[in-house]
Amino acid sequence: MSRYDVQGRLELEDRLRKTVQPEQGRIPFFTYTDPGVHDLEIERIFGRDWQFLGHVSEVPNPGSFVTRRMGRENVIVGRGDDSVVRVFLNACRHRGMTLACEDFGEVNNWRCPYHGFTFGSKGDFLGTFMGAPFERVAYPEGLDRDALHLIEARCEIYQGLIFATWSKSGPSLDDHLGNVKWYLDLLVGKAEMEVVGHPERWMVPTGWRLPAENFTSDAYHTATAHSFLSRLNMVKGADFGREGYHVNVGNGHGLGVGVHFDEESYFPKELEDEYRANLDEDQFRMLSRIKNLHGNAFPNFTFLVPNFIEVEGRRVTGLMLRTWQPVAPNQTQVWSWHLVEKNAPEWWKKLGKRMYTQTFSSSGMFDQDDTEVWEAQTRMSDAALYREEEVFLHYGMGMDLPTLDKSEFPGPGDVYDGKFSEEAGRTFYRVWLDRLLEAKK
Amino acid sequence: MTGAGEAVDLATRIQIQDLYSHEAELLDERRWEEWLDLFAPELEYTAPIRVTRKSPHPDTIDELGHFDDTKMSLALRVRRLRTDVAWAEDPPSLTRRLITNLRIRPGDDADRLQVRTNFLLYRSRGDLGAYDLIVGERQDALRREGDSWVIARRRSVIDQASMSTKNLGIFL
Repeated sequence: MSRYDVQGRLELEDRLRKTVQPEQGRIPFFTYTDPGVHDLEIERIFGRDWQFLGHVSEVPNPGSFVTRRMGRENVIVGRGDDSVVRVFLNACRHRGMTLACEDFGEVNNWRCPYHGFTFGSKGDFLGTFMGAPFERVAYPEGLDRDALHLIEARCEIYQGLIFATWSKSGPSLDDHLGNVKWYLDLLVGKAEMEVVGHPERWMVPTGWRLPAENFTSDAYHTATAHSFLSRLNMVKGADFGREGYHVNVGNGHGLGVGVHFDEESYFPKELEDEYRANLDEDQFRMLSRIKNLHGNAFPNFTFLVPNFIEVEGRRVTGLMLRTWQPVAPNQTQVWSWHLVEKNAPEWWKKLGKRMYTQTFSSSGMFDQDDTEVWEAQTRMSDAALYREEEVFLHYGMGMDLPTLDKSEFPGPGDVYDGKFSEEAGRTFYRVWLDRLLEAKK
Repeated sequence: MTGAGEAVDLATRIQIQDLYSHEAELLDERRWEEWLDLFAPELEYTAPIRVTRKSPHPDTIDELGHFDDTKMSLALRVRRLRTDVAWAEDPPSLTRRLITNLRIRPGDDADRLQVRTNFLLYRSRGDLGAYDLIVGERQDALRREGDSWVIARRRSVIDQASMSTKNLGIFL
C-alpha cells in the first residue's frame, strides 16, 4: 500500500485500532505479514525509533567505519577524526549514490565513485575529486557546501552500544532505554567488551516482529521447540524454561532471567574483580545467579546470554546481540554479534565462542528450529489477510499475575516470579500499536 | 598452478575423489553416523564469515564463523538430529551435494594432504518448489590412516556475505 493511498491507510489504521487488543491478549493474525502494516512500521517505527547499530569496539580509531542498516536504509557508522562516533545516510548528497561500499574499513574521507563528490569524516562536503580548478569551471557560481553536508542521524552511546534515530525531537536514548539499562549493564557494562570478528548475517523468510517478540517474552516455547536439550540430558528437568523471572521492563522492552541455585557464580572467577568494579551490589549478586538471559529492546534489538552448558569439560556461555532488519513483510535480515570480555582468560573466549556458534549462530542448534517456526507462521498468516472474519492469536499467558516486591528481585520493571508470562509481549504490542497510529511526529 | 597434479599418484587421486563422492552420498542420504567416521578425532570444522571489502583486503573473517565445531560437537548435532524434536530438519530437507574441482597439494608431511574442492549444495524444503543454493569451497586437511584417509580439518568458505538460507541445519 502506497503511503499516498490515503483512503487505504485510514482503513488499515481503523482495522488495527479495532483488532489489536494487547491488554486482552488478542493480536490479529493478519498483522504478521500485511504489506500495509510493514510500510507503516518502516515509516513510524524504523523512521523514528532508536535503533542498535553496533559496538564501539567495531570503530576503534579515527577514520574507522562500518556500514549498517536502519530498517530499509543503509547507514555509515563512523568515528570522525575528532574521535566522535556519527551516523550518516550512506548516500552522496549530489545524486544519491552509495558512498561506502564496504562492510567496514578505515578512510580519511568518503568519495562518491560517480562524480567524485567527497565528504570528510564529520560528514562535511570537502569538494570534488577533480579538484578546485575543474570544479570552478563546472560550477562557476560555486557549490553550497552546507547544503551538501551528509544526512546525519542522532547518535548516542550507552555502555559501548551505538544507537541512532532519524527523529530530531524524540526522547533521548537514556529515556528510550529506561529500565533496560540496568539489565544491559549486566551484559555489556560489567566489563570491557569487544566484538569478536564481524556480525554474521543471513536471511530468514519471516517478518522482523516474530523474532523480536520471541526474545521479548516467549520463554514458554523453549520447553517444546528446544526440547532436544532435555531429551539429550543437557539440562536437568523439563521446566528449565520456567525457573527465573519475567520482566516487563517498560517502553516495549522485555526480558527473562533464568537463575540457578548453586553457591558459586557461573561466570569466570578471573573476571570477578572487574565485574565488581563496574556493577553495583545488586547487579553483581544478580549476575552471580544468572543461568541465561533473553530479551529485546523495542523495536528490534535482541540480547541473549544463552543457557550455560558444558563444552569440553567447562561450563560456559557467550554473549549474543542481534538486530532483525525488515527487508520485506516476509523477509528479515538477521545480524548476529558475539561479544566477549576483553580481559577474559583464553578458555572462556575460545569455549564461549564455540558455545555461541554451536547454539545460536545460523547453524545453532537452538536457532535453526526457531527460524523454521517463524517462516511457517509468516506464511500461514497470508491466509488471514483476506478472510472475512478476523483471526485472533493468543497472547494471554500470565494475565493479572502479581508483581514481585523489590526485596524479592532487585532489578527495575514489573517483575514476575517464573518466566511463563507474556506481559512484556503485550506491552510490546501496545507500544507497537501506539507507534503505528501516531501519524505525525 | 604447480604441483597439484604431482602431489599424489593417480591411484591416490582416484581414492580421494571416491572419498568425497562417498561423503556426499552419506550426507544426502542422512547417514550421519557413518559420515562422522570419515573424520579424525582431532577434527576442526569451521566456516568463516564472508564480508564485502575493497581490494586487496581479505574477504573472510575467521575470528567468527557459521560453524566452530569439533568431532564431539558434530556427534552431538547428529544425536540431536536423531531425536524426534529436531524440527528444523524433520521433515528433512531434500539435499544434493555436487563436489567438484578437486585440487590436491602436499601437506606438512608424507602422511598429510591439503585438498580443496568446490561444492554446490542444493536444498529444498516445503511444498512450493522453493530451494536454496549454498555454494563455496571446502579446504580440507587429510591424514593417512592405514590404507585410507581421514579428514582432520575442514574449513568451508561459503560464497555469500549474507547467507540466503534460513539456517544451517545441514552439514557443509
